[in-house]
Amino acid sequence: MSEPLDIVILGGGTAGWMAATALVSLIPPNRCRVRLVESEEIGIVGVGEATFPEIKNFNDAIGIDEAEMMRATRAAFKLGIEFVDWGFKGSRYTHPFGVHGPVGMDHIFHHRWLRARHLGLTSDIEEYSFAAQAARNCRFELPETRQSAINSAYSYAYHFDAGLYSVYLRGLAEQRGVIRTEGKVQDVVQDPETGDIRSLLLESGETISGDLFIDCSGFRSLLLGKTLGVDWEDWSKWLPCDRALAVPSERDELSPFTRSTAMEAGWRWRIPLQHRTGNGYVFSTSFIDEDEAAASLMRNLGTNALAEPRMLKFQAGRRVVNWAKNCVAIGLAGGFLEPLESTSIYLIQVAIMQLVPLLPGKIVDPRLRDEFNRLIDLQYERIRDFLILHYKLNSREDAEIWRYCAAMDVPESLTRKIELFRHSAVIERYRDGLFPPTSWLSVFIGQGLIPEGYSPLADAVPGESLIAHMDRFRAEILDRVEEMRRHDRFIDLYCAAEPSIVPAGPEMRL
Amino acid sequence: MNRRIERVVVVGADAPAWMAAAALQRSLGGAGLQLRVIELPTSIQPVDAYSALPELAGFHHRIGLEEDLLFSLCNAVPIAGQRFSNWSGAAPPFIHGYDRSPPPGAGLGFTQLWIKGRQKGLRTDFENLSLGAVAAKAGRVPMTTQETELRASFGYNIDAGAYSALLRHFTMRGGVASKAATVADVETEGDRISAIILGDGERVEADLFIDASGPRAVLIGRMAGAEFESWREWLPCDRLLVASAKALKPLPAFSQISAFRQGWIGLFPLQDRTAVVAAYDSRQISDQAVLEDLPALASLPIGGEAVVSSLAQGVRRRTWVGNCVAVGESAFSLEPLDAVQLHIAHYCISQLMTLFPVETGTFPEAELYDRTIRRTAINLRDFQFTHYKLNRRFDMPLWDGCRDAAPPETLQRKLDLFAARGRIPLYDDETFQEQAWESLFIGHGLMPQSYDPRVDAVPEQDHIAQMQARLNDIVGLVGTMPLVDDFVVGTELQRQAEATAPG
Repeated sequence: MSEPLDIVILGGGTAGWMAATALVSLIPPNRCRVRLVESEEIGIVGVGEATFPEIKNFNDAIGIDEAEMMRATRAAFKLGIEFVDWGFKGSRYTHPFGVHGPVGMDHIFHHRWLRARHLGLTSDIEEYSFAAQAARNCRFELPETRQSAINSAYSYAYHFDAGLYSVYLRGLAEQRGVIRTEGKVQDVVQDPETGDIRSLLLESGETISGDLFIDCSGFRSLLLGKTLGVDWEDWSKWLPCDRALAVPSERDELSPFTRSTAMEAGWRWRIPLQHRTGNGYVFSTSFIDEDEAAASLMRNLGTNALAEPRMLKFQAGRRVVNWAKNCVAIGLAGGFLEPLESTSIYLIQVAIMQLVPLLPGKIVDPRLRDEFNRLIDLQYERIRDFLILHYKLNSREDAEIWRYCAAMDVPESLTRKIELFRHSAVIERYRDGLFPPTSWLSVFIGQGLIPEGYSPLADAVPGESLIAHMDRFRAEILDRVEEMRRHDRFIDLYCAAEPSIVPAGPEMRL
Repeated sequence: MNRRIERVVVVGADAPAWMAAAALQRSLGGAGLQLRVIELPTSIQPVDAYSALPELAGFHHRIGLEEDLLFSLCNAVPIAGQRFSNWSGAAPPFIHGYDRSPPPGAGLGFTQLWIKGRQKGLRTDFENLSLGAVAAKAGRVPMTTQETELRASFGYNIDAGAYSALLRHFTMRGGVASKAATVADVETEGDRISAIILGDGERVEADLFIDASGPRAVLIGRMAGAEFESWREWLPCDRLLVASAKALKPLPAFSQISAFRQGWIGLFPLQDRTAVVAAYDSRQISDQAVLEDLPALASLPIGGEAVVSSLAQGVRRRTWVGNCVAVGESAFSLEPLDAVQLHIAHYCISQLMTLFPVETGTFPEAELYDRTIRRTAINLRDFQFTHYKLNRRFDMPLWDGCRDAAPPETLQRKLDLFAARGRIPLYDDETFQEQAWESLFIGHGLMPQSYDPRVDAVPEQDHIAQMQARLNDIVGLVGTMPLVDDFVVGTELQRQAEATAPG
């Protein structure tokens, strides 16, 4: 057997420790050795206190006990995202982690709902979503595994302390054989002929050499961007926000959803954890100055602030490839999309889970690299379009940023989707990419785009029985939701954190 | 204010036209759609058979057609897979079995375990890991009733004339009007058809015209921008010869596809006969010569008539223009190599139902229809071209040419990644999933150079035990499946019993 692959991960934030833990957990030591270089002097961004349901697959795959992880990260459950004031002032809708309508009917359900509206139905589409109703009522239980059950049609994610998640993963990773080296990179040594990265020279004088380098250095993109010179593709004309201010406040209601509220120059998040509420304001300096934004954030906190707000600068976009030569960027070193749909950790996870099966040998096979880049591109572009949709579909007119976004040109792929939905209520399905049609549906409808037409297939049922069916289904959801435990109660029973755990360090979180 | 689509005319013949009409009637008849079929002269000969993928059962279910009728009226034979021989030099034949894909996220998958096993000297063939392939070899019909991880299903070989007649009868009984006619002229206004003029002079107007006329493309062929784009640079066969041989006894559970010097020959078992189909390149061999060679190529005596037709493989640049929608081989056509013939119609019809226009004013649905049909067509083309591309028949112009032809970029990626790591990059709108591509690639001799590193985390003893358990499970399940002959007789008996049951 040949020598194991030497993998060097640069950077120990969420991306670095997720990658390290996954590699060491999934691939045996005779195939790869993992080293992680990080410096305690460099702060981490700690992307994402809010996650997407796919995180559970990742945790399951690398052998994480859910309740233990939740205790360690002071996590709470999340059934979706509530959007306030997005399409228009006074609006409120949920993007739930589950279908609208009965299980297996999601291809036709919203067409039937549209028809029922023509017949006089007034109920909102999310009244037919189990996840949305459970979220609204602050209830939580693990989904039923029997596929046909009304309460099986949803999944869930977590709100957690990303800093504590990294700490938790670091514990696992080191226990499973990852070697951590404290130090700052002074120089990156490249092969003079191929340009491949050969080693990292640390300020301490130590040289860390490797076969494959994983760049988790955050926005600095020290290896992929700075050393290999891979270009940045700027998407800020569609996603104009370029700053985030984050501040924790005292815990208030433990609602099982993220709240995103559209503001005068961006949007504000509220993320309830077991021990505090995470808050933040994502905004664009083209439309508001930093002090004003900070004042706005502090003014709108529901509870007392626990710290001063901290600021992060960014630009929406990505590196044109995320794997070049023998270097793979994971996390912010490869791209950034604002946390509007909690996709940052998802993008880390998807990169890791694509890299594992495509892990190269000591010499990178370009065929493996090309496939990785193809899949990551699809993920970025499809998330990008979905995020832009939130900005584009607004009729607020009360602030410059909203007027700009409503008028801006968007990628052609998105224009087509919007126009087709407007006309026919049809939503295109895709294989690779995070958001299923039900996600698109909730944003389209929630932001005020009620289609002009609906599929004639929905006309095949007599109107009265259609409405009766819908009423019955809605009532069934409510009945079942009322039987569920309250979310805070469920947490107490399932994964309450020990009160003795020290709160996370002061790093910025998104 | 634009209005709902009220009148739809389907122009075509044979199974695709009646499939379209049946689906429209079933889903939209209740919503007041007026449907009329303009039935063109048939293009089916008595010797013709359709070979269908398992997905067709889902279509029958949706339109409410009882499957037993296929076995009692259409001489149908259930088919667990296709066997390919003589494509790759001295390599043994292989079977592409119709396994169901494992659920997403089901872990590593046995393919990766097999690749490593093979590198370590494991002898068992890849097809032994396929429930469908093992059932096919044993002449048994995959019917997995319980929810096992291992699942397979069967497609059918069906008499084309009887199946078309069955669908016609079924559809007419559902209240669809039809008229036997030819299309003499098409009146257009802008990019729309305002009316079609039939051979007897009748002028037929509609909101939407469905072209299910097959390669004749009587409507879409006249629309601007819908030119035919040929794939001959990859798929050289341009002639089809169909004949019959005696029924095989016992009935096999697979169709047999063998390559020969100038093309391939398929044996498609039916209850009453074996349909014999040869596809070949007219630049390499004449119709007469194929006819003469046929008994030798089929290793069977050929009886009765043989029918030759021409074959143009490719896709229309647009498949929905104005108010004219192409479904089936009027949209794209391929040789009947992987049982895709009826699937083409089936897929187009499903897409049309999903994207059925909301009103008569504008059809923004057309763009998405076009795009998905085209992607499906390209993925299927790539699948079929793989048989040619990976051939190892040397010193024969047709086969040398195909091996040397540069594959389309979409297929090159699949070949590259599979050769490198044994994984299949699947695109949007794929008919065939991982297992099908894997059996195709491995069957034609493309062995991955490396495997998923997670396989090495499985200890050798477990690895061997898992493989052994899988093989045993398959053998066990196959043992419980009915033999094809018993299955065919059984459904017939059951039907008779039900027909004569009191009450």
